[in-house]
Amino acid sequence: MNVVDCSGLTKTFGRATAVNNLSFTLAPNKITGLIGRNGAGKTTLLKIIAGYLLPNAGSIQVFSENPVNNIKVSANMIFVDENMVLPASMNLGEILESSGRFYAHWDHQLAVGLFTYFNLHPGQYHSKLSKGMRSAFNAILGLAARCPLTIFDEPTTGMDAAVRKDFYRALLKDFMLRPRTVILSSHLLNEINDILDDLLLIKDGEKRLHVPINELKEYAVGLQGKEETITEMAGKAEVLHRKRLGKDSVYLAVRNQFAEEELQKARLEGVAISPVVTDDLCMYLTARNKGGIDDVFDRN
Amino acid sequence: MLLDTDSLKPIYVQIAEWLEMEILNGNIASDEKMYSQYQLADMFNVNPATAAKGLNILADEKLLYKKRGLGMFVSSHARAAIRSKRIKRNLNQLVLELVAEAKRLDVGKDDLINMLIAAELQATEEGSQ
Repeated sequence: MNVVDCSGLTKTFGRATAVNNLSFTLAPNKITGLIGRNGAGKTTLLKIIAGYLLPNAGSIQVFSENPVNNIKVSANMIFVDENMVLPASMNLGEILESSGRFYAHWDHQLAVGLFTYFNLHPGQYHSKLSKGMRSAFNAILGLAARCPLTIFDEPTTGMDAAVRKDFYRALLKDFMLRPRTVILSSHLLNEINDILDDLLLIKDGEKRLHVPINELKEYAVGLQGKEETITEMAGKAEVLHRKRLGKDSVYLAVRNQFAEEELQKARLEGVAISPVVTDDLCMYLTARNKGGIDDVFDRN
Repeated sequence: MLLDTDSLKPIYVQIAEWLEMEILNGNIASDEKMYSQYQLADMFNVNPATAAKGLNILADEKLLYKKRGLGMFVSSHARAAIRSKRIKRNLNQLVLELVAEAKRLDVGKDDLINMLIAAELQATEEGSQ
């Protein structure tokens, strides 16, 4: 049974379409990375899944039910983002204590352990925390709640590099202790790449790619060399990115449908073959033109 | 343990190769228990499904065998099999590239062979120190 099942999901705000005819399913106990550019519709999609927003069209099922005003979904889901609203009259210690009464699977030992590790103090107030510390506290709630559906919407905003790394490792470790369905949105794929099961890439509210993360590395390949050799080699393969280098040299990122022997042969002919790192690949897949920012300056 | 994220090789392939090295070096002997997918996930900081995929490469090549309820163990022929596979695949590959680079640089056959002999000597010396 799928945890999230949506089809034809569309959400518009006035004239802007935030989510456009999205269909996908999420199987239980996997970590899915939701990746997209600014304004791609990540947050809107997550809020629809959480039942905070109503779609204009299409259907959404979470734990096989409509998530809007649904007690089953609310009790089994936590939505972590930087705008989490927590009672202003309670200090952090009190919030942790009362969270235990709210979430059925709450792990208080984990919560306190992380709380101390990240140098938070029970007497502090949520509204007085720095941006990074607030994100860390929200992330602790998200982890310790151990909800069957855990949604992190850009959880690392404001965190420094060390805290981000610690958070992702904590997520992975606790996920192994208690598997659950996690959706993690970010625009930095690179950082979360290794801990993901699946990747859902969206562009302009539409699904661009939904694949197991292990297939991503072989999805595209970078070819660099003499223009005619490269163009011939690329043939009919889908070109994701093109960059001109020097006089007759060119770099292409193309869909990787080459056999190992073909790549081998090309290498011996002097073609430099390189991996397309996943961050670049996502950038190419969500770009509006093949040359990226260079096209803006290229007036010939 | 660090993975090379810039490599063309997927993470699970890198994990599989690292496991092969562990067997090749004798760190895990035959009939000894192999790391579990969760141990590997923790060591490499990767998703457990990715770690399992790495283990499965070795299992598919019969370098590991399963004991029900106990996990994966190293097959008796694993070390020899990995060695011959590496000679066939990696070493041949490296030699091909070596020869191609020598051609591009216009280095003759005798010079290349002399370089190989020198490199071999150096490696032996370093090994004996």
